[in-house]
Formats: sequence, structure tokens, C-alpha cells
Amino acid sequence: MAENTVRLKIKRQDGPNAQSRWEEFEIPYKSGMNVISAMMDIAANPVTKDGKTTTPIAYDSNCLEEICGSCAMLINGKARMACSSLVKNLEQPITVEPLSKFPLVRDLAVDRNVLFENLKKVKAWVPVDGTYDLGSGPRVTPQKQEQAYPLSNCISCTICMEVCPQFNESTGFVGAATISQVALFNDHPTGAVLKEERLHALMGDGGIHECGFAQNCVESCPKGIPLTRSISRVAGQVMVQTVKDIFSR
Amino acid sequence: MTMANPKIIVVGGGLAGLSAVIKIAEAGGNVDLFSIVPVKRSHSVCAQGGINAAKNLKGEGDSTEQHFDDTVYGGDFIANQTPIKNMCDAAPGIIDLLDRMGVPFNRTPEGLLDFRRFGGTLYHRTAFAGATTGQQLLYALDEQVRRYESDGRVTKYEHWEFLSAVLDGNRVCRGICAMNLRTMEVRTFPCDALIIATGGIGAIFGKSTNSVVCTGSAQSALYQQGAYYANGEFIQVHPTSIPGEDKLRLMSESARGEGGRVWVPRTLHDKRDPRSIPEADRFYFLEEWFPKYGNLVPRDVATRAIHRIVYEEQLGIDGQPMVYLDLTHIDRHTLDRKLEGILEIYEKFVGDDPRIHPMKIFPGMHYTMGGLWVDFKQATSIPGIFAAGECEYQYHGSNRLGANSLLSCIFGGFTAGPEALKYAKNVAKTSVEVPSSVFEAERKRQMEINSRLTSSSGTENPFRIWRELGEIMTRNVTVTRYNKNLIATDAKLVELLERYRNINLSDKGAWANTSFIFTRQLYNMLQLARVITQGATRRDESRGAHYKPEFPERDDANFLKTTKAYFAPDADEPRFEWEMVDTSIIKPRPRRYDMAK
Amino acid sequence: MSTAASPGPPTSTSANDHPHGIAPLRAGQGHEFFWRRLHSLSGIIPVGAFLFEHILISNATAINGATAYAHQVRFLGSLPFVLGLELFGIWLPIAFHALYGFYIWYRGRANLISYPWLGNWMYSLQRWTGAIAFAYIIWHTYTMRFTGVDLHEVPGASFGKVQHELFITPLFLFYVVGLIAASWHFAYGIWLFCAKWGITVGERARQRFLYICIAFFFLLSAVGLASMAKFRSMPQQPTDPDGARQIELQTK
Repeated sequence: MAENTVRLKIKRQDGPNAQSRWEEFEIPYKSGMNVISAMMDIAANPVTKDGKTTTPIAYDSNCLEEICGSCAMLINGKARMACSSLVKNLEQPITVEPLSKFPLVRDLAVDRNVLFENLKKVKAWVPVDGTYDLGSGPRVTPQKQEQAYPLSNCISCTICMEVCPQFNESTGFVGAATISQVALFNDHPTGAVLKEERLHALMGDGGIHECGFAQNCVESCPKGIPLTRSISRVAGQVMVQTVKDIFSR
Repeated sequence: MTMANPKIIVVGGGLAGLSAVIKIAEAGGNVDLFSIVPVKRSHSVCAQGGINAAKNLKGEGDSTEQHFDDTVYGGDFIANQTPIKNMCDAAPGIIDLLDRMGVPFNRTPEGLLDFRRFGGTLYHRTAFAGATTGQQLLYALDEQVRRYESDGRVTKYEHWEFLSAVLDGNRVCRGICAMNLRTMEVRTFPCDALIIATGGIGAIFGKSTNSVVCTGSAQSALYQQGAYYANGEFIQVHPTSIPGEDKLRLMSESARGEGGRVWVPRTLHDKRDPRSIPEADRFYFLEEWFPKYGNLVPRDVATRAIHRIVYEEQLGIDGQPMVYLDLTHIDRHTLDRKLEGILEIYEKFVGDDPRIHPMKIFPGMHYTMGGLWVDFKQATSIPGIFAAGECEYQYHGSNRLGANSLLSCIFGGFTAGPEALKYAKNVAKTSVEVPSSVFEAERKRQMEINSRLTSSSGTENPFRIWRELGEIMTRNVTVTRYNKNLIATDAKLVELLERYRNINLSDKGAWANTSFIFTRQLYNMLQLARVITQGATRRDESRGAHYKPEFPERDDANFLKTTKAYFAPDADEPRFEWEMVDTSIIKPRPRRYDMAK
Repeated sequence: MSTAASPGPPTSTSANDHPHGIAPLRAGQGHEFFWRRLHSLSGIIPVGAFLFEHILISNATAINGATAYAHQVRFLGSLPFVLGLELFGIWLPIAFHALYGFYIWYRGRANLISYPWLGNWMYSLQRWTGAIAFAYIIWHTYTMRFTGVDLHEVPGASFGKVQHELFITPLFLFYVVGLIAASWHFAYGIWLFCAKWGITVGERARQRFLYICIAFFFLLSAVGLASMAKFRSMPQQPTDPDGARQIELQTK
């Protein structure tokens, strides 16, 4: 499949209120090429397939190792990380579009700040007393660590939200990533002190109940995080909390 | 006079920046945090292997003195010793703090922190969280900062690019000038103290293990505003990176720490599948050349050994510049438990499973030991500006030990934060009292740079200039350095700067114009590249990562000195001074890894 | 910066100032949680429980013939407050479950074409089967309960009344589709309930429970189909009051 050239079809949009358009590119193939390096080559020579001069493509990227979570986009119709999308594994022409559920900034760059807002709402942190020396932390068994570690691998790429049928403007669903962080911090011996607050937050509109269990999140998570397990666990905690609230409030 | 509620600006939201923010917020200060990317996406996430602290939990008799000695020795004695000693002494407490913040460090069966061995030491001193320690540490700090953000102590300005410091008539820092990466608005922000924590400079070398944002643009801007830049010539090339089209991906030292072995077939063009090559026909050159440390020699030593194998002995795999890093003798479960993250990277980006196939690796530009000059309080030479993390020069001498960078970031931030706050509280005149004309003048200066760029209608494509910059810097200013080539490189840099004046922006848009921003950064990269190159030219010795075949020995008599570069605006080029090194605690001794030190 | 040739920047001045976009979590606000969980629960109790009884018990008695069927209908008709039971135990819960279900459906953005994965299929299927079952239930309730002979008055006519419909092939097919849709909706609904209420937390637990739910779906469908087969295999039983009385008398 990897011939000598790569064909890309990229959705361009100059700004949030501008009209979108498609531009096609044909560039020389290099071994090991991924979607980002293809766009780097386009930036060095921004000419479309028809020979029209254009502008370099705007997109978010940083680490290019699939750990910073920046370069999520729709590639051949599916949400994934551009840096780990090897050209040789993709059908051509490769269509590249911005994520569809976040406010567009320009071309392939979108504003995913909503996730960070959600992390604030659920208090996704361990409330330490201070940064002065208070001795070592609580002991944690290797088994507990192995349970926490995958959840802590979430790179905030928002792909789980993009692919979720329930994450949209009418539900304002919080999304799998945030729920999974609640699972992580509720498990932590010190983090658990905020457990009740987190669960109550998730009972608010757009909370965990909006999950329709389509399970696209877990299918598409680039880090393989057991998101549905997190959702189910936290949902159980929420129900237990509900019962507690009914009888003790 | 002390000020009740000074305003601190922190630029950079990686480990160092966030550490500083947390300390300031905790002490009751207010912080504006500026970052090009959402801080959770900072380059610190890329650190894989771990963070050093001599907790001595393995019964090896490790101590902070040993850690200190390893660090100074690994850095070939050119680092000031007092701050390193402070850092190593603080390290166990920092690990405890991170542990309390919920970093999922790997554990022993008893529930204590587990430690692994890293290059340049004989002790198990490196705490780690799988193979994504940097990510885990950054997230822990990011979460604490988000907590302060919720409380209103911290205001984040994400997607803002630092352009310059606002300096008053006395060259004292009164604020910053920054640009919104979406609206392209140029704006000044007053502050009473400024902390720069803008990380590495990998982009100067084109392809490196660094993230896209690691351009060194902020450091360079400050250098051009009068800050000293120190030891720029010490560039760490990581021995094991995965060559790629867009970047070099790091293969963590922990791969060797967990028993990975580096080898090549003894004969060139050995056509056999590497797995079927018998032991006798494999050349484990690190183990043979450095029996004491074996595969865990420090990075500069391993890098030069691989270069020797490939370029002098002509033994690269298939004649290509690559050697094997082999983990296939280690059982799958151990690999998955301890190294899964990094093995996934290889699998994802190369397409082979490193549990089955030996990895093909080659050295790649990784880290700058040099950076903004700071004193022991992390203060730069411009009053009111502090620096922490990779962007300053203080902790690693001429070669950084693996797993010391995360530590130096956090320790640097933890020092810079309180020091900046102290400075800001005691500053004679607050930023509020500074006339607005000071700010307006700087804003105007930056706007003029912008309009020069957008009105330029030359023929040069910035991305192509950048590629040329990267190629020549990688070829001449990384592993092996010859004066002739260094001088040629500087001439080339002058040429590139000249061509830069003839640039043509293919995108002149005024909204989220990433190539415009990049072009601005490119200018600063070119200026800083000259500091690196000229610094290397002037250092006629070999020390740590700086290796000159014409001067193969360390020369303490002439060069046990810090290189300090400053910008001469009229000549538009760097000038240099030397500064004595603080060797008050450990007397310099020869650095050898083929025997015990 | 300002330049001449530029794509029009929006008027917003701050990077975080985006009026559009999906809202963050409204922590501690609203009542959706209550209604969603009530919807989820109502699918199991009472709607699911009724379905269980209706297919696996009441209608299954048809397999034992017209007399047994009449006996069962008489029993149901003799329950105290039967209208109240029907209204509050069956009709209103079904109406709520269905109408709120449509509201949930309306607020979702199915994306099967982009992501044709199993769970996503099930997500959409749950909505389609729900709609089919609801349409069927409305029609079925209307014809059985509110047209023709009143089976509470004349239980003996039950078998014949059902037969009358099932002998018309299009209606028979509607019965089959309605039965299968309702059975699937209920069976997978149990699976969803357990996943969403934190009962089946682990991946393997959910996998195994899915098999159980699929088996349950087959059981419901099979028993339902067997009942229908029985109706179709017998000669048309009387639906007139006299004939019905004959059948009823045999139950004594």
C-alpha cells in the first residue's frame, strides 16, 4: 500500500465562524511516516495537489509520543492520535478532520478545555496538607498500585468524549475520562476524603447517569484504560451514596 | 517595605513551573501561570524512567552524599556543588511528598516504594511509576495546581506564548509581554517577580527527543534582553532513541536499568535474524569495554561507544547507524510490569514487539545541561527574573544522570517559588507603581517585530530554514565536535539569520496562526544556536557530553569554568565570560566508568 | 498583531471565551440523576417484572390449551383493584419508561456509522427495540383491552380473541417482531442495569452476564413463540359469550 506518495484530504477552516473546505495534498512517502510528519512536510511546502499555494495546517501537537494528548483528530473518520497513526496502516486518501464535538479554533485545532473544567468540578486531586516534609505517604500494596496506575495514565486526549454518543450539547455529559479520575482518587487512601463530594458532583446534571454504556470510550481509548470498569465502579459508589443520603440526611 | 500580596508570573507549566506555582500559592501568593500548551500537556510527561532519591530502601547503604557524589562526578565536576548537595539532600523528602500527592509509584510487596538502578550509579536509587514517571509526576502537580486554581489563587493563561520580559529603566523585570496563540493579541502583564520554567531547546537540533514546544525561545529572548546563558555547549545526546520521521522517540534508560543489553553482530552484514545469532557472534560492546558499569554507563559514555561502533568499527546493523537494545531475554511479565509504557511506544511507532524482537536504536539529542545562568537562589542575572528546570544550567554539569532531571525540575521550582515570593515582597517599587509607558514600550517593540514578519515578502520558508538549522546542529554540535566544523556551523547560522530577514510567511492570518508563532520562535532558536556553537568552539577540552577528538582530555587547569554568554546587541552576537566553579565539597578527580570510581 | 489579508478572527478576545461547546458538569445541580435512575429502575420493576409474568407465566399457560389460558386470565381479572394495578403497575410505568426513553434517545447522538462496534450497536439497538416494543404494546393493549369482547368479563374468550389476531399473517408477524423486540429490550436492559448500577463491575463479569442475558432473551422469545405456535395450531376457539362460557365451564 505504501507507494511513493501519500494522499491526504484535510478539512480546513480558518476560524470558528469561517466556512470549512477540503484541501487535498500529495506528498512523497517516507518510511515510518505518520500523520503529523506528513503535515510537517506540508508545512515545509504548503502546496495542494492541484498546485495551489496554501497555508500550513494548524493543529495541536506536542510530544508526538502519544503521551501529551494534544493531537487527537478524526483520521479516516475515526477519533485517534495523529502521532501514532502510521501512514502505512491507513487507507488513502487519508482524510483528516478536527474532532467534531469541541469548539473549533482553526483547521484541526479545537478547544478541549471542558475536560479540565470537569476535573475541577469533581475535585480530581489528593488534598495534601502541604508540601512541607510530612514523612512518607500511606503504604500501598503492589496490587493497589497496579489498579491505580492504568487510570492515572489518562492523557486527557478527549477521544473517549468525542466518540461517546451521550457526550453532546443537549446532555452536557461529563464523559468517561473524568469519571475514571473519580475512580482513581476515590481509591486513594488520602484522596478518599473527598469521595462523597465527588459522588455528589457526579449526581448533578451531565453526571454519570448520562452514560448510555455504548462502550465506545473503552474501544477507542489510545491508552487502553478500563473506562467502563471505572464508570461501573463509580456508578455503584454513586448508588450506595444515594442510599446513604436517603437514610442519613 | 514589604508588600502584602505581590503578583508572581510563572512561565511554563511543566514540573518546574508547577512546583514553583504550588509553593507560591501555598505561601499565600497569587500566581499567573502562562503556558503555550495546556499545562497537563507539557514536555515533562515524556520523562519515562524515574526520579532519583537516596532513600536507601534496598539495604545497599545508599546515602544523599553518594547521590551528590554520583551527580557531581557524572557531570564531570563542572557544576557548582552547593546547589547539587541541597538538591540531593532534599530528594527523599520530595519523593515522600509526591507519594503523598498520589503518584502511583511502583511498590514492593511490603507496600513501600520500589527503586530501580539507573545509569551512572551502582545503587537502586530511582523511584518510578511504570514507564511513565514524568507523566505521573506532572499530573500530581497539575492536580494540586488545579486545586489552587479552583480556590482562585492561580490564574492559568494557556495557549499564550511568552515573548519577552518587561524591563524598566533600571533593567529590572516588571512584567512580561505575551501573545495569545489564538487571537494573536499581544499584551503585557505586570508582575513583581517572574519565574521562567520553559524547559528544553530540542527544536534547535531539528529532530530530538523533545516535544514540539521545546524551542528555547523564551530563554533566548531573555538572553537577548541581557540575561546570562551558561554552559550552553553541554548538550546531552541520549544513547538510546528510536529514529523517526518527525522526531526521535526516547527509549528510556530504564530499559537498560531492567537488564536490557546493547549489542551488534560481530560481523558486518550478518544476514541472520538477530534472535538466531548465537551469543558468541554478538558483540556486547558496552559490557566488554566497561565491565564495572556494563550497559549502565552514563549517557555520554554510552553515546560515544555507539558512535564508535557505528562510525569507526563500521558494525552498525546492516551498515545503518543503529545498534540492538535487547530485552528479549527478560520474561514478558516482568517487562510488562516494569516497562510496558516504553515498550508500547516502540511497538506503536515502529511496529515490532520489543518483547520478541531486539529494538533498533541510535543516539538522539535529548537534553540541555546548559541554560539561563542562575545563582543559588535560582535568580537569573536580570533582577526579578528567576529560572527553574531544564531552562537553567545549575544541576547537571556537563552531563546529566538519568532520573536526575525530574528531581532538578521539582527542586528548582521549590526553590525558585519561595525565593521569587521573597523577592517580590521586598521589592522597592511594585509593578503597579511602574508607569504604563514601560509596558507600552515593550508591547510596541513586540508588535513591530510582528509587523516586520507579516509584511516581509521574501522567498525563504521558515520550516526549511529550521530543517537546515537542525541538520547542521545535529551533525556538528552534538556527539563529536571539531573546531573547524563548529566555526563553519556558526558561519552557517549567520547565513540562516541573514536569510531569515528574507522570510516569506505563507500564512499571514491573524487568527491561530501557528506558523507565524513558529517563525518567531525560529529567530530565537537561531540566536541561541550561536551561543551553543560558539560555547563549544571555545571549550578546547573534552568533558562530559562535550567531546572534542582534538582535545580528548579534560583540562581542569584551563576549563574548570562555567561558560557565561551574554548578548551584544550592537554586534548581534554572543560574548563570553568565564566563571569559577564551586568545588568546595568534592575535589575534582578523573571520571572513568571502566572501573570503580 | 494586525494584518491585511486574514481570515476573519472572531470578536472574542480571550482564549477561554468560547460561547459554544458542550457545558461542563453541573455539579450538584438539577434532577436528571433522579429521573434517569428512575427510568432505569422502572425498566426492571415494574415494567420488566410485568413482561416476565406476561410472557413466561400468563401467556405460557396457553401452551396447556384454551381452558388453562382462560383460567389464568380469570385469575388475573379477579385480582383486587385490577384497574389500579393495571394503571399504576403497568400502563403508567410503561408510558413513563417509553416516553422518557424517547427523550433519552432524542438527547443522544448515535454514531454507529463511524464506530460500528458491538457495544455501540447495542446502544442503538436498545433504542430501536424500545420503539418497536412500545408501538407494539400500544396496539396490543388497545386491541386486547379496549376493543371487542372484554376479557375480564369473559375470560373464556381470551384464547379465541388472541387466535383471531394471530391467524392474520401480517398481525402474526407484528406479534413476532414485537415479542422479539420487547424480549431483547428487556434482556439487554437487565445487562445495562447491572452495568450502570455498579453490579457487574469487571469486564469479565459483564461478559459472562451478557451471555446470561442473551440466554434469557432466547428463553423469553422461545416461550413467547411457543405460545403463539399453540394459538396458531389450534382450531379457532369461540369468542362469543356462549362459546366462551363453555370453555370456562371446563375449568371448574
